Amino acid sequence: MDQTLSLLHQTLPCRATQIDHLHNLFAYKDEPHPETVYIQGGPSTGKSIVVTTLLEKLELKHAILNLVECYTAKILFETILNKLSGHRMDPKNPVPYAKCENMMDFLQHLKNYSLEDDLTGSVIVLDKAEELRNMEFNLLPAFMRLKELSGIPISVILISELVFQKFLSKANIVDPMKIDFPQYNKDELLEILSMDIENARRIVENEYEHSIDFDLEFYKNYLNVFLSVFYRACRDLSELKYMSRINFVKYCQPIITGQNTVEDQMALWKNVAPTLKSSLAVLYLRIDTSNQTDQVVKHSVGSKETSAQSLELPFYAKYLLIAAYLASYNSAKDDKRLFMKFHGKKMKKLKDVKMKSKVSEQLNTQLGPKPFAFDRLLAIFYSILDEKVGFNNNLLVQVSSLVELRLLSSVSDNCFLDGQKYKCNVNFDFIQEISRTVRFNIRKYLSDFSHI
Amino acid sequence: MEVDQTVSVSKGVFVFKNNFKPLTKLVKSKRKQKNVVNYQNTAFSSNAWYQSYSSLWQNIEEKIENLNNAMFSSVLSRLVNFVKSSHDFDVEEIPTAALLTGINMPDHAAQFKSLSNQIKESVTPHVACLHSQDCQNIKYLIENMIGQLVKEDESFSDEDSLSDSTRTHLKKSQLNLSVLQCWYENMYQEHSQTSPKKQKTKNKKILVIIISDFESFNAEVLQKFILIASCYIRVLPFVFIFGIATSISTLHTSLPYKVSSKICVKVFNSQRSTCYLNEILENVFFSTSCPFQMGGKVFNLFIDIFLFYDLSVNNFIQNIKYAMAEHFSYGNAMALCSFNKKETSAIIAEFSHEDLENVRHLLSFRKLVESETYENQIRLLTDDDYFANVLTEEIVKLQKYIRRLHIFLKCLLILVEDLPKAPLGQQLRDLYSVATAKNITNSPEYKECFKLLGFQSMEELSKKLSKILDYLEDKILFKHENKMKDFYEQLESFVDSMNNFNMAEMEEAVVEIENNEQVALKSLDRKQFKEKLFGMTKSQNQPLNRYEKLREKIITTLSQAFEEYLIEPKSFYFHEIFFFNNISIQSNIIGSHRSAIHNALNDPQYYLQCDCCTIPNSSVIKHTMPDICIAYKLHLECGKIINLYDWLQAFLSIVDPIEIDDETKRIVSPELQARFTQCVAELEYLGFIKSTKRKADHVARLTWGG
Repeated sequence: MDQTLSLLHQTLPCRATQIDHLHNLFAYKDEPHPETVYIQGGPSTGKSIVVTTLLEKLELKHAILNLVECYTAKILFETILNKLSGHRMDPKNPVPYAKCENMMDFLQHLKNYSLEDDLTGSVIVLDKAEELRNMEFNLLPAFMRLKELSGIPISVILISELVFQKFLSKANIVDPMKIDFPQYNKDELLEILSMDIENARRIVENEYEHSIDFDLEFYKNYLNVFLSVFYRACRDLSELKYMSRINFVKYCQPIITGQNTVEDQMALWKNVAPTLKSSLAVLYLRIDTSNQTDQVVKHSVGSKETSAQSLELPFYAKYLLIAAYLASYNSAKDDKRLFMKFHGKKMKKLKDVKMKSKVSEQLNTQLGPKPFAFDRLLAIFYSILDEKVGFNNNLLVQVSSLVELRLLSSVSDNCFLDGQKYKCNVNFDFIQEISRTVRFNIRKYLSDFSHI
Repeated sequence: MEVDQTVSVSKGVFVFKNNFKPLTKLVKSKRKQKNVVNYQNTAFSSNAWYQSYSSLWQNIEEKIENLNNAMFSSVLSRLVNFVKSSHDFDVEEIPTAALLTGINMPDHAAQFKSLSNQIKESVTPHVACLHSQDCQNIKYLIENMIGQLVKEDESFSDEDSLSDSTRTHLKKSQLNLSVLQCWYENMYQEHSQTSPKKQKTKNKKILVIIISDFESFNAEVLQKFILIASCYIRVLPFVFIFGIATSISTLHTSLPYKVSSKICVKVFNSQRSTCYLNEILENVFFSTSCPFQMGGKVFNLFIDIFLFYDLSVNNFIQNIKYAMAEHFSYGNAMALCSFNKKETSAIIAEFSHEDLENVRHLLSFRKLVESETYENQIRLLTDDDYFANVLTEEIVKLQKYIRRLHIFLKCLLILVEDLPKAPLGQQLRDLYSVATAKNITNSPEYKECFKLLGFQSMEELSKKLSKILDYLEDKILFKHENKMKDFYEQLESFVDSMNNFNMAEMEEAVVEIENNEQVALKSLDRKQFKEKLFGMTKSQNQPLNRYEKLREKIITTLSQAFEEYLIEPKSFYFHEIFFFNNISIQSNIIGSHRSAIHNALNDPQYYLQCDCCTIPNSSVIKHTMPDICIAYKLHLECGKIINLYDWLQAFLSIVDPIEIDDETKRIVSPELQARFTQCVAELEYLGFIKSTKRKADHVARLTWGG
């Protein structure tokens, strides 16, 4: 027993208390297992891996399933039964172990199976348990009291990123036993990341087609440098692992080219610092920049402006988009003043004077897009376009293709043919860039700016 | 159907199933193909113009396809390599290729198809293409994907002599990922048993999922799908290929971090659609394989549609196809639209009297007649043999002209494309549209270009000239065209003399000039000095150095050549045979529904083609017209608000005209009232009127004018 525990501690560092806790609960076969255990913790804090390895090492009968893939309850039940019974499906005629439409069927089949084979002490693990909230209402209470309902000593482990309070509903749920997986701190991250050393060796070998000899100390030094930049921005282990691998290749580059040796850590650090800074900008974006087009990609990822430039739109579609932006961010009562040549003189009222001193929270451009009718879009389109253009089907198609590209979104029901309503989805920087390509001064037509 | 009837079809709409693709069932397709053949025989497939049209179009289509493949091949091979190597090592994230395609998805359907074919051939048989319309929710998406993967396997294993009885068809509801997993393991288990362990991993084939329209997918569905797939990444080697129309940032806006951390994206760029268009134009439509030429107006129309409305090359090609069909359907005269001299003379020899009459109906024939002497005029009109000879001569002239037009346009492009502000444009298409619309050498832009060329430095000019020489080399050497050869040799000698220029010599000349000036600028009083300066500014460009002299000579030679060859097509007789310049197709190419509806309601005879409704002018209303037309025409006469009762009375007076002497109100029959009510309802549905609360028993007009 102690052997498995120490093995677990070795393979899964920094999770000692949690492992001890779980081990206490499940390791002793002669003692009854808890009915439900609720495991909570942020993303990539080792929840699933701890539970999985623990159950495997303890050689308990178990079924682990991710609730994301169970888009119907039927799949959920049948997969649990398949896994518990070890049923293998024939691909030519894939029949599950038993057909289950609802919870009652499931319990019945579970009881039937427990007669064939002893299910005592087996465990059902439901990963991503927060999905249960969107599924049938009876699933969560039923799984929480599975032992009681089925009459079999079977336990359920729920793994979720949410705290249990988010699950509370009208149904009377007994509070389960909770185990918290806190976020790793810097030293723990360092320890876990340094286990990646074999991978790092292999990656370097792949990249440069010849290996370099380095020890754990060298790698830890690199990780120290790496974490000093990244720890502030990101605590997510899997993201850190991904970024550390990418940057390690660049860290080793001077060694391969012969500029520096493995001992030259100061020089290596100086060399990699700018790379680390620049890759901080693409954190979480997961774009593989390991080929020749990385310049282009970095640009298009980095700034919104270039993404507007790289977008190819036909001329009228650009104007339609501009018109949609104007319709979304101007109120309709300003249209006459903005788009008509002879709109008459407006009496100045106290309200208008106040308008001039608008605070930024009241600016239309800050308040988000408002829906507008199709007719208004066309009217603005025709007034901002200098040349005369016939109203034809190709123009109409442009509107729907803008919707398809998610630059506009349709806010009215599709079955409502008359007077479709839209919203403009692009931001001010983007539209400014677009209007610059057609030499259109958008500020002149925005009521926010024309007051000033 | 009689042949005569079908000759004048320019107004009708005919469906040709010449691109007919056989259906899956062989029998069915055979039967249908037979039908098509019969249909074509009875129509006009035997006519010369149709034959040359269809062979020409086939030729063009083939070329476009080849070009597409060649252009897409570099991206394609990179993608295929990416897919191949994606699972060489254990991966934790799903390898994903993001292909930035540009906004016109229909254009790329062919690309994705060839991509999936290529992957099937060289990497793995397991490819699934998902389209947004089939994947409304996650259940449909997964069923669709697994259905494709598993079915693929069945057709694949067909050759392995699996009898039908062993294969049971999977029900849709059975398809879920655990089924896929067991199917996959089952398939590659046998391999692993026979081969040693190391080979097992290599034998495992990758599962490729192609999502060609990323933007139109429901973001939530995709997120779920990626999460599910990532759960299985250790057992099922997935690779995703996303076709993204806008930019890579859409990927990040539609996928949250918890999803995007499951994929590892590599970006592939494909060509911009304007480059694609230029390639298609230069290699297909401006090449010697396409005798059909678009006139300036039509060409501009198509380019405008492309640039202003859709950026769709596919649409552009279809527009040209339409123009071609329109062009050729004029009659047998158009069969002469070909670059092959032997072919055209053979066709002319076979021409019947009617065919020649068809040619005589061309507008430019009148010009030819007018330019001839009286005797020849009569011979042209009556003597078919004489006319045929003249025609052959003129056609040969045109053929030569078009070929040279393209060559010299290209030369001109090389000269002017990088001039400041590019007065003539930077693309061959810009030049083409000018050159076919008018005499390009007379245009102010052309003159400005040559003015600018006059200031070019020696390196630039010699670079351009040698570029032209390179281009001309493979165009003319094998042909024995003397004039072209002369031109070529002349240019060659210019380049040689420029290269042999001694820089020192030139400088010397400059210094000499300066010395002269300095001598002259010695002590003078103010007035004299001023005069001197004034005189110098005038005479400054007189003393030219050797390079400047040479440059002038080059430019005059070039402009002479251009003036000779770049004449407008209208100046040729029978230019209509090669150039299609009928702008009236605009209404057929760009649909405008409003005017179509107005037309249909205002003048129903236009669409119904009945005799009873012919009207002399649009304001006339006849009782034979459909009710809705009558109501529509009456409402055009009203103002902003329409009195329903007056409208009804006017309607009745047309539908059922009875003389009413006094002011007694007539009794409206319920049938007529119902008809009127229906018309009003229909007009309201079409959006011409709406009910208003401002006045009782009135409706408001929603359109203006009458």
